[in-house]
Amino acid sequence: MSVSNLLENWSQFRHFHPVDDKPHDPYKWAMSIDIDACSGCNACSVACYAENNIPVVGKERFQHGQQMHWMRIERYWPDHDFDFPEQGAEFLPMMCQQCEAAPCETVCPVGATNHTADGLNSQIYNRCIGSRYCSANCPFKVRYFNWYDYPTDETVWPAEMNRQLNPDVSVRGKGVMEKCTFCVQRLRAAEVTAKGEGRIVREGEVQTACQQACPTSAISFGNLVDPESRVHKQWQAQQVEMNVDEQEKDKEPGGSHLRGYRILEELRPYPSVMYLERVRESAI
Amino acid sequence: MKDIREDIAWAKINRDVLVSLENPRKLYWVIVFGALSLFSVGLGCEIYQYQVGMGVANLNNPNVWGLYIATFIFWIGMSHSGTLLSAILHLMHADWRKPIYRFAEAMTTFSLMTAGLFVMVHIGRLWQFYYALPYPNDRGTWPNFQSPLLWDAMAIFTYLSSSVLFLYVGMIPDLAICRDNLHKGWRKKLYTLLALGWEGTDRQWRNFRVTYLTIACFLIPLAVSVHSIVASDFAMSQQPGWHVTSFPPYFVAGALYSGCAAIITLFIILRYVFRFEDYMTKSILKKTVRLTFAIAMVWTYLNAVEFAAVWYGHDMDAKAVLIQKATGPFAPFWWGMVFCGSVVPLMLAFKRFQTNIPVLFAVSLLLNLGMWLERWMIVAPTFSHGYYPWVWDNDQWPSLIQWGMVMGSFGWFTLLFMVFCKVFPSVSMYEVKEMVYHRSLHLKKNETAGQGAH
Amino acid sequence: MIDSSSIKQLAGHPFDRRDFLKVLGWSGAAVALSGCGNTSIENGKETVVSYVEAADYVIPGVAVYYNSTCAQCDAGCNINGRVREGRVLKLEGNAASAINRGKMCGLGQAGVQHHYNPDRVREPLLRKGDKGETISWDKAYALIAEKLNGVSGEQVAFLSGAVSGHLKVLLGNYLESLGSKNLYVYEAVAPAVQRAANKKAYGTEMPRFNINKAKVVLSFGADFLGSWVSPVHFSQQYAQFRKGVDGQRGVLVQVESKMTLTGANADRWLVVRPGTEGILALGIINALGASGVTLSGDVAAAVQGYDKARVSNDTGVSVEHLDKLVALLKERTPSLVLAGSAAEGYAHGSQNAAAINLLNQVLGNVGKTIEASASVPFPQMIPAKGNTAALKTLNDDLAAGKYKVLFTYATNPVFTAPGSMKFKANLAKAGFKVAFAHYLDETALEADLVLPLDSALEDWGTQVPEYMAEGAQINIQQPLMEKLHANTQGMGDILLTLVKQREADKYKDFADYYGYLRGSLLTIKGALGSGGTDDDTFWDETLTSGIIKLAGSAEQLSGNASAAGLQLPAAAAADAQYSFHLIPSVTAYLRDGRHTNQPWLQESPDPLTTIVWDSWVEIHPKKAAELGIVEGDVLEVSSRTGSIRAQAYLFPGIHPDAISIPLGRGHEALGRYAKGYGVNPFQILDAVFDQETGELALHETRVKISKVGQRIIVVKDEGAAGGKPEQRRIALSKSTDQVKLSEEV
Repeated sequence: MSVSNLLENWSQFRHFHPVDDKPHDPYKWAMSIDIDACSGCNACSVACYAENNIPVVGKERFQHGQQMHWMRIERYWPDHDFDFPEQGAEFLPMMCQQCEAAPCETVCPVGATNHTADGLNSQIYNRCIGSRYCSANCPFKVRYFNWYDYPTDETVWPAEMNRQLNPDVSVRGKGVMEKCTFCVQRLRAAEVTAKGEGRIVREGEVQTACQQACPTSAISFGNLVDPESRVHKQWQAQQVEMNVDEQEKDKEPGGSHLRGYRILEELRPYPSVMYLERVRESAI
Repeated sequence: MKDIREDIAWAKINRDVLVSLENPRKLYWVIVFGALSLFSVGLGCEIYQYQVGMGVANLNNPNVWGLYIATFIFWIGMSHSGTLLSAILHLMHADWRKPIYRFAEAMTTFSLMTAGLFVMVHIGRLWQFYYALPYPNDRGTWPNFQSPLLWDAMAIFTYLSSSVLFLYVGMIPDLAICRDNLHKGWRKKLYTLLALGWEGTDRQWRNFRVTYLTIACFLIPLAVSVHSIVASDFAMSQQPGWHVTSFPPYFVAGALYSGCAAIITLFIILRYVFRFEDYMTKSILKKTVRLTFAIAMVWTYLNAVEFAAVWYGHDMDAKAVLIQKATGPFAPFWWGMVFCGSVVPLMLAFKRFQTNIPVLFAVSLLLNLGMWLERWMIVAPTFSHGYYPWVWDNDQWPSLIQWGMVMGSFGWFTLLFMVFCKVFPSVSMYEVKEMVYHRSLHLKKNETAGQGAH
Repeated sequence: MIDSSSIKQLAGHPFDRRDFLKVLGWSGAAVALSGCGNTSIENGKETVVSYVEAADYVIPGVAVYYNSTCAQCDAGCNINGRVREGRVLKLEGNAASAINRGKMCGLGQAGVQHHYNPDRVREPLLRKGDKGETISWDKAYALIAEKLNGVSGEQVAFLSGAVSGHLKVLLGNYLESLGSKNLYVYEAVAPAVQRAANKKAYGTEMPRFNINKAKVVLSFGADFLGSWVSPVHFSQQYAQFRKGVDGQRGVLVQVESKMTLTGANADRWLVVRPGTEGILALGIINALGASGVTLSGDVAAAVQGYDKARVSNDTGVSVEHLDKLVALLKERTPSLVLAGSAAEGYAHGSQNAAAINLLNQVLGNVGKTIEASASVPFPQMIPAKGNTAALKTLNDDLAAGKYKVLFTYATNPVFTAPGSMKFKANLAKAGFKVAFAHYLDETALEADLVLPLDSALEDWGTQVPEYMAEGAQINIQQPLMEKLHANTQGMGDILLTLVKQREADKYKDFADYYGYLRGSLLTIKGALGSGGTDDDTFWDETLTSGIIKLAGSAEQLSGNASAAGLQLPAAAAADAQYSFHLIPSVTAYLRDGRHTNQPWLQESPDPLTTIVWDSWVEIHPKKAAELGIVEGDVLEVSSRTGSIRAQAYLFPGIHPDAISIPLGRGHEALGRYAKGYGVNPFQILDAVFDQETGELALHETRVKISKVGQRIIVVKDEGAAGGKPEQRRIALSKSTDQVKLSEEV
């Protein structure tokens, strides 16, 4: 391997966040989650376990904080003091935000986490050496490390249970980092099919497992570049821009009537997941 | 106060030092045995962790790093004072460094080797660690040159190799003495090989001086950079409590501090174990102690600067981490760090403690404890109180596996160090001779001046 | 991981199709696992059969999808199973279903873990002392015949969970052939009081609730997003309701003593003193009357005494909230009032439900948001609905030693019967107990003969949901893969064999249950609206779609608003000795505990507390502070019946006079993922029954609590901040006057 090869590779390295000379084309996968519709039921999380071969770690490891749920439902109470939660709780599905300028990517010593041309923050299990620097630098703490060797652990996938494993998704051994992939195996299959037919993936043709399961359809997922996609329309209607750290609408005095926001946007990771604020009735 | 006697014969210097290679006190063997046991514990823990997975360390999301990285920084820090004593003071012609720089330089090398171990035990897939090395391969894959961790690996490797070189080059004249004075056996062969045919000719001395000086000059910026880069692991990240501009100098000061404290500890141990009372004099100890005190105050100042910057800054998340450090579950350790790092060294300001060996021994250990706590308090609270409140977690007490490996690292370091002192002269003979010579010249000059006055 | 010894075995043996599927399974797993290295196959030590020899219906690498029906609860969601290389991998929703429209809850998705569960019973087991001895099916059937010989129908009983469709037909036929009328259909957490109250108020047990058409939903403890009736269906309606009609977002008000998942999604969550839901309903009617809504004479008379001050005093709901609620109900119509199990779990539960239903009628919701549902025109197939009154009768009969042979199926009464019933002891008095079981659960362990069942993913069947979403439908259940274990049988096949023992001639045409099912459906093809198609086409289409949709015959709703017989007791007085109400909560995923051995469900955090793998006692923080209780304190919870110990969790969504413990955990058997995790609150329930229906009053148990002096770490997902966002912009919220929903996509 020549040095020139290194330099050539290097010039392309992590170039795929939205910059003028390389716009996302034809895909930029993105999501929007309406937390007013989310009921907090956890169906998405179970779907994620089923689709992505996520190990069930058991009580003791869960107690040590070693759970692996790529998709977790957070339940929030108001910050102020209250006797009873009279406006209910607030549920927030949280998974890898597939940041366009991901803090995890720059710090990985071996380049195991990268940006793909279609806007995903990918994780290459085979390349990962387990330094866990990516997790250390993730503001959302949505990266999960294989603290144990789950594939060989008799409590996780004992005989028969292992037959449920999805062959499209590799089972991760000990010592590698993993996280939500936006169900990349489904995206790739759809992209390849579409390419074979000389077109791009149509809206609704591919769903993530969480989106597919969600009983209240709170999750939309699709190609942000495609003007026909629901995600594109939602982002546009909510005036949420990808590569900014503060949205124009939020600069309006008195705030905006729009509900779209991104979490920890001010840190400038450019998350690919837009949330829609919860709403509560003012008349009661 | 008793200092090195200027009338000490060169042959006696050789004899006294060479005897340390053969006949130390019994305590030496006790220490070696203790170190070996500790190292075995650490080794056992690593084997277990390697087999079962990193989970046995009781790390979790978000506390992914734990004691390994904290102790890693600690050992990197330890390495700095060797360079300070051997290279910086060499350039400054501080003669008093001469009897003690050899073991300080050895300490540098071995603490770097210990720190390297923590990089290894920390990574989840030890068997794939070579992915982090930039070696040509037919897949065309390279490590990520943007990652501070990679800078780290390179900086440490460069520093380690330079330190080894520096240590070795500085030993060549002494190795020749060993070669010439010891009985036949494997040692003689070893020294013959390592002495590189040193005969003490003028030309050899001249080349030796130039080489030694060059490496010393090269090593100084390297020493500063290596800990700055370790600091970048944190400062270049985006996390509250880490994303601090003053981290590099703060880390370097902390490194020199812990290194000086460790030199005091080892000074006292070597002085006793190898009967070096004539060379490692209290006068030298006093100078080391004063240096340590000065560095302690610099460290305290930089600490205060960091806290003030966070406190008066607008980064609410970083402020929350600071408050958490002082009041949260880490509070005992954080206040312990402040006490050991900033209050205990005040004792060194008093003259009567500056040469009191039992007191200094205790103080130096406390200082090092404080510096270890400092590293832990840099790493852990940011994890448990980061940007995202959902994952805040106080229950991540390191498991016995982690503690075992921390203990094991002390065993490993002590073992290497003790073996080194037994195999190689831990007091530089030729430099002590130089020192004695300088002193006698000085005396003679004084005498002549006195005579002239008559 | 790969079972290498089995592969070795296979390599040396000629194998049949089933073995072949096994190999495919393993090699599939091997493909999946090879990414992590170190498999024995990679190292060349093992032999693998290549895909070149694939069976004709398997295309390696290509997934096929089959429609079937979810059997994890009775809602009857239509599922779509993803099958690859002969293995079912994932259950997804059938988009053509009116019930779940392609969606799935977590409980349903865990159906694969029921199927692949390592703790399934694999062989028929006969009791030998304390042990079970493996016997053959032939011997098992012979033994049943022998035990039934000379036993009169009176002395035989069959205890079943809810059944419907052809299984119910066959079960009825079998009991008939035995001359027995003793079919007990028992469900521990069924909406049985609801059915009776609905029957009285609307003339039908389970009308259709149109949450999506309502502008206001007032729910009295109905956890329709979590565990009530048909949660996936209601969740979709709820999503539409939130989007609103003409951009006016639907308003959800939840009234309950312990916050449910639905309560956590309410715009206004009103905490009431346990058991006073009916009083509040009557108070609202009274206030509506006062604000100009016309009330019929007897209704006005019935609510006369329920003025705001009294209602507020009795229920603990402030007058201000009451006024706002009444104004909202009056202003925004149509609304929908739901009565859930929380309101019905009292001795006066039927009265509470009646008062709540009366409110619906006063608001004129009947016919608008409550509509008649269609039912399947085959009465023999409509579900035998479970209740707890059945268990009481059975228990009394068992105590009297009435039964010589007892069959149990799809229910686990030893675990779910209230401790006060002493069901386990009474069960021992039955002569010969046969359990048809998937797992060795608590009830199966008491049986003399345990017969292993096929999982729902390898069995045939039809299912008729109790709650019909749209028209009527018969759900088809079909195997998604070959049987995992050679020696399990489908319940239909077992019943067919058993009924053949009695009436061989009648069933001689049916070789197996599949044949029976196909034959029966073909005979009613015409009535199913496919009279013109030929048999094979009909059958293929049916299996392909997995649903038979029918127009159904709508029952008439009676809109009769009558307060006749409505007599609510005053709010319950405090009990000096047992000062807390115990609310055994029904969680969305664990329900009555039959699926607790599915690890996804154990590790799926409870939505409200985020606790996993364990039971907990919810107590209000103020009350806890009063009693010096902090999170993780182990509490002894004692009722008049018994006591259990569990960790405290400080939970703001509960009435300070109540504590709540979730149902479903605390198994002493069932399997590795269930046994020994948590406690079972069924054990300490007092035997108090609803006065009208005889249903067990789940919420009537009073308890006292005391610290035992031990503190443990609560295993939960939320961090030390306790789910407070701590001023960070994470989960944001606006009020309706700040948003313009109609402009959204």
